[in-house]
Amino acid sequence: MAINMPGAGPATEEVRPNGAEAQEPGKTGSDGKRLSPFKLYMRRFARNKAALGGLVLFALLVLFSLFGRYLTHWDHMEADFTALSVAPGVGGHLLGTNGAGNDVYAQLVHGLGRSLIIAVTVSLLTTAIAGLFGTTAAYYGGKAERAMLGLVHFLLILPSFLIIALVGTHYRGDWQVLVVVLTLFGWMLTARVIWSLATSLREREYVMAARFMGVSPIRTIVRHLLPNIGSLLIVTFTLGVASTVQAETALSFIGFGVKQPDVSLGSMLADGQNTLSTAPWLFYLPAALVVLLTVAMALIGDGLRDALDPTSQSGGRA
Amino acid sequence: MLRYIARKAVGWFLMIAVATNLTYFLANAFLKPASNYTALRPPRTPAQINHSLALYNLNPDKPITDRWWHWISQIVTHFDWGQSPTGGSVNDQVAYRIFVSGQLVLGATILSIIIGVGLGVYTASRQYKAADRVWQGLSVISFNTPSAVASLAVVLVAIALNQALGSTLLPVAGAQSPDVAGFWSVFGSRATHAILPTISLTFISYAGYHLLQRSLLLDHINSDYVRTARAKGLTQKQAIYRHGLRTSIIPVATQVAFAMPALFTGAVITETVFAWHGMGEYFTRTISTNDVHGVVAVAAFGALMTAIGAILADLVVVALDPRIRVS
Repeated sequence: MAINMPGAGPATEEVRPNGAEAQEPGKTGSDGKRLSPFKLYMRRFARNKAALGGLVLFALLVLFSLFGRYLTHWDHMEADFTALSVAPGVGGHLLGTNGAGNDVYAQLVHGLGRSLIIAVTVSLLTTAIAGLFGTTAAYYGGKAERAMLGLVHFLLILPSFLIIALVGTHYRGDWQVLVVVLTLFGWMLTARVIWSLATSLREREYVMAARFMGVSPIRTIVRHLLPNIGSLLIVTFTLGVASTVQAETALSFIGFGVKQPDVSLGSMLADGQNTLSTAPWLFYLPAALVVLLTVAMALIGDGLRDALDPTSQSGGRA
Repeated sequence: MLRYIARKAVGWFLMIAVATNLTYFLANAFLKPASNYTALRPPRTPAQINHSLALYNLNPDKPITDRWWHWISQIVTHFDWGQSPTGGSVNDQVAYRIFVSGQLVLGATILSIIIGVGLGVYTASRQYKAADRVWQGLSVISFNTPSAVASLAVVLVAIALNQALGSTLLPVAGAQSPDVAGFWSVFGSRATHAILPTISLTFISYAGYHLLQRSLLLDHINSDYVRTARAKGLTQKQAIYRHGLRTSIIPVATQVAFAMPALFTGAVITETVFAWHGMGEYFTRTISTNDVHGVVAVAAFGALMTAIGAILADLVVVALDPRIRVS
């Protein structure tokens, strides 16, 4: 986390895993001493119990998607023809099987991993593009700014959902393609928000100084503008993960996203809805995971916003 | 004022035109209408298939610019949006489906704005009290529930309710019963069929307005002019409603415009689940049947909805914000 603050000591460098840090809020920094920004943020974040819960939940989900496969000997593609759509616990299938005999537990682990990879990659890429685009437009101003904003407005009116569906169908639900199209059509609104913030930054003294000292535009943007909207970018990233999971679920649900033999939570939901009354576990389990994942990300994003926003009062005083 | 609206409308119209034409070329590049004929028995030769497609201006051998010119001139002169690869008129389909979708999306939009803004005001004036926290938690969950999950959850509850009552109180599929006749019974049937999809659409979209309205009103509730209003003898309630709400509702109105396309895509799933033959269902069907002209018509409809939403939002903002002078 690069926050432009003078006197941020070496303490910022020892970035420990979030979970470990968050568990012991009282021990970071003694009273009366100056807190490094990172520790301050951690303290404010840890005070928000809901956000902390969200973080733990998210960590558990990631661990489940990474190591969950070792709890079963079934593979998500392998079909067990001796057990077609059996209930959880029958025939050695932890969470039952679907109509084709695929182990639901193995599919859940794989589907959660797939949804997570798509969501995190897309969110990272869109945040990066939106950040660069928005600050560049704000830095140059004038004609370049107007042209770039015009492009954003035009892309906003394009039927992005339809184009994503078109391209997604054409490439038969390859998840890498899904990442590309979701990224291409996901950054505009964020870029516009970032632009409106960065326009006030470009008038600041340090940006002026850099400009007059002949620092190249790209260097100014990367070193001075971007770090100063860092908090917004982090929050955008967190909330982007939740909204991408939703978009991916929606696309896969109506059949334009991830397709067989690959599975994601959305495609599992789509399969599960047809057997809602005969095999309800096929729907409940992925539905529960999707909601847990998006709610966890929303809680984290909310907590980060409170922790990083200097004017926020909701976290108390730190 | 009229000039302002006219200028905005022209700008939006140009954007819609460009977006629609772009979609036409994209759809032609990605969809293969010929696939509708490859499964027929007896098998057709490519020449026969292209001959059939040529009837509907979809012949892939003809240069794309020629096809485009024919398509666009039909729209401009006759407002004819072309045919599907198997010959159905796009105009007929869309005309019927707009009505079906409209009653669903419009009802849900109005309901979610009323509920969302109402809850926002209610919880903002009780910040950090029990009611605020409970509603906040509920909205965070509903905001993050994918529409597929929300719709199917509503279906499950309705089925359980119907089974408990032993009769079909709330129908879960279709836009109306097939065997009703007469204006009032059709109207009643449509209304009961619309209840569940409207509930599920409202459930996923109200929370956005609630959370936004709450945080905006909290920004304004402690501002000078609300305090002045209190000092002049208004009750806290009057001060909030007359002064705080008026300014803080403006960004919400802008949000509605941007939410229109999102609600439209949300309705795709709701329509799929509830088996409504609306624009959302048409959208999925046109893509899976490689219906180039249908896809473009859906895109144009979506863009039009965005434009209408944006213009309406502008009008609301002008009406509410005394600082904006347009004429």
